Amino acid sequence: MKKTLSRYFSLYISFLKHNLKNEMMYRANFAINVGMDIFFMLVNVVFFSILYGNVETIGSWNFHQTLVLVGTVGIVRELAYLTFRKGFLELGEYVRTGNFDVMLHAPISAAAHLAFRHVSLTESLGEGLMGLVLVGYGFVQLGNAGLSSIGFYLLMLINSLAIYYGFCLIINSLVFWLIKSQELNTVVYYFMNTARYPRDIYHGLGKAIFTVIIPSSLIATTPATILIGRAEPALIVLTVSVAAVFLSLGLFFWNRSINFYSSASS
Amino acid sequence: MPAIEVKQLCKVFKTHRKEAGLMGSLKGLLHRETVYKDAVKSVSFSLETGELVGFLGPNGAGKTTLLKMLSGILYPTSGSISVLGYTPWERKRDYQRQFSIVMGQKNQLWWDLPPAESFLLNRDIYDINPKDFQRTVDEMVELLDLKALLDIPVRQLSLGERMKCELLAALLHQPKVLFLDEPTIGLDVISQEKVRGFIQEYNRLKKTTVLLTSHYMQDVEQLCERVLVINHGGIVYDGSLLSLSERYIDHKVLKIRFASPQSASPPRDLKGVVEWDIHHAEIKIDKKEIAAMTYRLLGDFPVEDLSVEEVEIEEVIRRIFEER
Repeated sequence: MKKTLSRYFSLYISFLKHNLKNEMMYRANFAINVGMDIFFMLVNVVFFSILYGNVETIGSWNFHQTLVLVGTVGIVRELAYLTFRKGFLELGEYVRTGNFDVMLHAPISAAAHLAFRHVSLTESLGEGLMGLVLVGYGFVQLGNAGLSSIGFYLLMLINSLAIYYGFCLIINSLVFWLIKSQELNTVVYYFMNTARYPRDIYHGLGKAIFTVIIPSSLIATTPATILIGRAEPALIVLTVSVAAVFLSLGLFFWNRSINFYSSASS
Repeated sequence: MPAIEVKQLCKVFKTHRKEAGLMGSLKGLLHRETVYKDAVKSVSFSLETGELVGFLGPNGAGKTTLLKMLSGILYPTSGSISVLGYTPWERKRDYQRQFSIVMGQKNQLWWDLPPAESFLLNRDIYDINPKDFQRTVDEMVELLDLKALLDIPVRQLSLGERMKCELLAALLHQPKVLFLDEPTIGLDVISQEKVRGFIQEYNRLKKTTVLLTSHYMQDVEQLCERVLVINHGGIVYDGSLLSLSERYIDHKVLKIRFASPQSASPPRDLKGVVEWDIHHAEIKIDKKEIAAMTYRLLGDFPVEDLSVEEVEIEEVIRRIFEER
């Protein structure tokens, strides 16, 4: 187990290096990526500051708390691009052209191969950096959680990443039947877009849906509650369980569905 | 124990038929007609360690599908395969480390990076220790004459150069079994020759078991003592190229150059004339009648040059493929 983990970690580093070299081949693209990200994060901040010009709180979250929440979404997004996200965006093309072949015969897990093949530092770098700034700013302004909460926050970020990954796996397992994956990943995109609203805005059925079916309400809210000093044990237990369930379901579906891969003739 | 053993292998593909045109597409949205296609039909064969065997067949005969099942990319519908004692579609890491597949029409190298980078990545994927890696790279670079190309981005390489790099990348982990799917497709004559020469040399040096598909006859003619001819998903011949022509062809071709111009039409009682003009003649003769026919022609005409040739192997294969 330990051996496997360290092997996959060094594989990850190796793929990351190759992707960095690849990205640096196109410098303009790199700059545009980062610039666009920062722009959209700023739009988000402006949107919420206008909103908070009219109301004191949204679902009991004030402006600085919301900054931590929005920033957390940015960080999760960047972490996802640093680990698995972009591979899923390319998956449809791999399946359509039959290039998925190589992932099935190389001696590493197909899921890891797909994820690592396109790990990207820059795709969401602007969002990640802005996220850090917003989270840091909100955290300092609020000042009601200790420094020790940062470690706990990081752990919960990893947990959120697991939910996100499980969700991606489940949705993208369908690609082996549908062959095209663009629409599937639009679903994932909207999923992440709803993560920036605090969980407390949902009630009743809506809350249930955004917890167990589309667990986006947990992804940013749970880590954020820790940094703003409102950590609730029940919410944390719920989030960790949802992550476990989604990750196992995701891997289960994925492993079943790659057997339906029909390749393309050549 | 044979290196590869295939028994009663079948693969059925399910596809949907769509009528041409927009109306056809609309109909397809509501109701699709499912079509089952037998890509591989009850195929059995086995390969000994170190053999270099050619798979010969027209497009769509099922060659690639077979190779994909041998490498565990596709599941068969029924039947069994054992390669080095493994069942390919179980996708055991131990098996995956011991074989390689190269597809002439697919690119496994990183498009924007020089090939040397892809080699490094393969070193990590296949967990090759750095010393072995360096030794293999040096050896292969020498054999394939690639030295000058290692630092040029793949997208700027010619097809032939790229193919050689693909081969190198696939051989870094020193596979015991090598599947080559159309390795010379689209290459010019010189590149084809080089790739062919390399495969031959590699098989001789490393005793690697090689299964190669191609529809270029020369590949198979030069490389393989044994061929498997596949058509419509089934194996129609398994044996040496030589006895293939013996079995399917009962004639040879006699070529004559006349010493002086002759009449423009052949004598009426001469059978099997393929070509005839005042300088040349080409005649198909039954193998049993070669001596008699040669004797007669030498007596009747002023012959400057005469040769008896085997029917080209392509002709043989064409015949087999045309049989249904």
